[in-house]
Amino acid sequence: MIELIAALQPLLVGVVLIWSARVKLVSRHAAAAAHRSALVRLVGQRRALPAYRLLGGVELTLGGLLLLPPALRLEAVAATVLAAGFLGYLGYARRAAPTSSCGCLSARPVPVSGRSLARAALLLAAGGLAVPATTGWADALATRPVAGGAVLLAELAVVVALSPELDPAWLLPLRRLRARLTHPLRGGSGVPLLATVQQLQLSDAYRRVAALLRSDVREHWDDGGWRFVAHAARYQGRPVTAVFAVPLADPEPGAVRVALVDDATGHTLLSLAGTAPPSGPRLAVVPV
Amino acid sequence: MDQTLDRRRLLATAALGGVVGATALGSLAPEAAFAAEATAVAPGAPDPNFAEGRISKISGSMLLVTGSDTVLHSIRITDGTSIWKLHPTTFDRVAVGDGLYARGVRLPDGTLAADSVWVNIVNLHGHVAAVGRNVLHLDHKGQRILAHVVPGRSAAVYNGTPAVSDMSLLRVGRHVQVLGAWHPDTNEIDIATVYAAA
Repeated sequence: MIELIAALQPLLVGVVLIWSARVKLVSRHAAAAAHRSALVRLVGQRRALPAYRLLGGVELTLGGLLLLPPALRLEAVAATVLAAGFLGYLGYARRAAPTSSCGCLSARPVPVSGRSLARAALLLAAGGLAVPATTGWADALATRPVAGGAVLLAELAVVVALSPELDPAWLLPLRRLRARLTHPLRGGSGVPLLATVQQLQLSDAYRRVAALLRSDVREHWDDGGWRFVAHAARYQGRPVTAVFAVPLADPEPGAVRVALVDDATGHTLLSLAGTAPPSGPRLAVVPV
Repeated sequence: MDQTLDRRRLLATAALGGVVGATALGSLAPEAAFAAEATAVAPGAPDPNFAEGRISKISGSMLLVTGSDTVLHSIRITDGTSIWKLHPTTFDRVAVGDGLYARGVRLPDGTLAADSVWVNIVNLHGHVAAVGRNVLHLDHKGQRILAHVVPGRSAAVYNGTPAVSDMSLLRVGRHVQVLGAWHPDTNEIDIATVYAAA
């Protein structure tokens, strides 16, 4: 069994390398991906893209050699060295440039995470495992197609699971499906305070007293179909409370009322009822 | 408690009572008020009437705050100060270690008499990576943030329409902006408002 697994590793590593090279060589976003990566830190802004492309070329060549017969031990050794280099680079990127993107299997900006490191470690192990293999992957697969296929599928599944770049393709749809089935965010009801504040800020009453307000909302309470919202304010040099009354059932800003109450005496200094929206014909303004 | 109820009754009666004319008390046009209170802050200079930082000590109604630029601020909470901590709340809910933004008036002795204080307020953009029961897992610049939906408090604004309590239109993978209250020294926040497309 171990021989079968060893013989199949060049196929896995080769496929992953060619996939990785595809991003670096033919993706339209390769330049952006290169400049987001830790290569900028390592070789400088100017040389990041050439280095990224060069790495893609190396990956493509090695991936092609691994996939094509004959199976040479030297290829497996080279793949192991490259995988060790990746692991070292990712470890460096995580420490030295934690905000940089991996730039590994996709041009999508993905920070270097534990998963990326685990994937590089998996490739390193696969490369190491391939070194002592004596048969090519095609022969091994032809002799034991079912077991070989199962091993390959399992390994590919692990690579995909360890690739944050590929999450939008499988993980997010799964999570979306779960949310659709279980409705975890159901149950919100009632008028949130923000809706009341938005309504009152659009009101004529608010516009009239806005310049007097000193504070954000100090308190609010509901009573008899109204929501009351109190702000601290100053009026003619006196500290006052500006209390707005907003009907809970009527979203029209015109229904909002306000009073200014003297904090010291409790006297109402000013009270404004909402103004009804203007009746009669309105001028419709249509953007051209 | 009775005092609060009495006060609220007084304020409610004032707001719903008859109209008291404003003209006798002078102009209420915003232009007049703004003209009287022009504050000049030179471009690039710190606004003297604003402070931010984390509370290192609370003594009486004074907050000692260490700014993120290590400047120390003394902030006085007055009877007229509004305190926000996920929702409008009271001074006793403020704790040492909380972060804050404060706006008010700088007194001659250097203390800031606060008009408004926003405790632990955060404003961040992210992608919804996953949703759980009343919780959003946000991907914020590669870091995971746990944003709790607080029933009765959290609001959602979809496509800029008026806020609603219904969070169920939020979708995994979509971009959101969240205004919320941070749980100090964790990666968790409570959601005040989430802005999203629906």
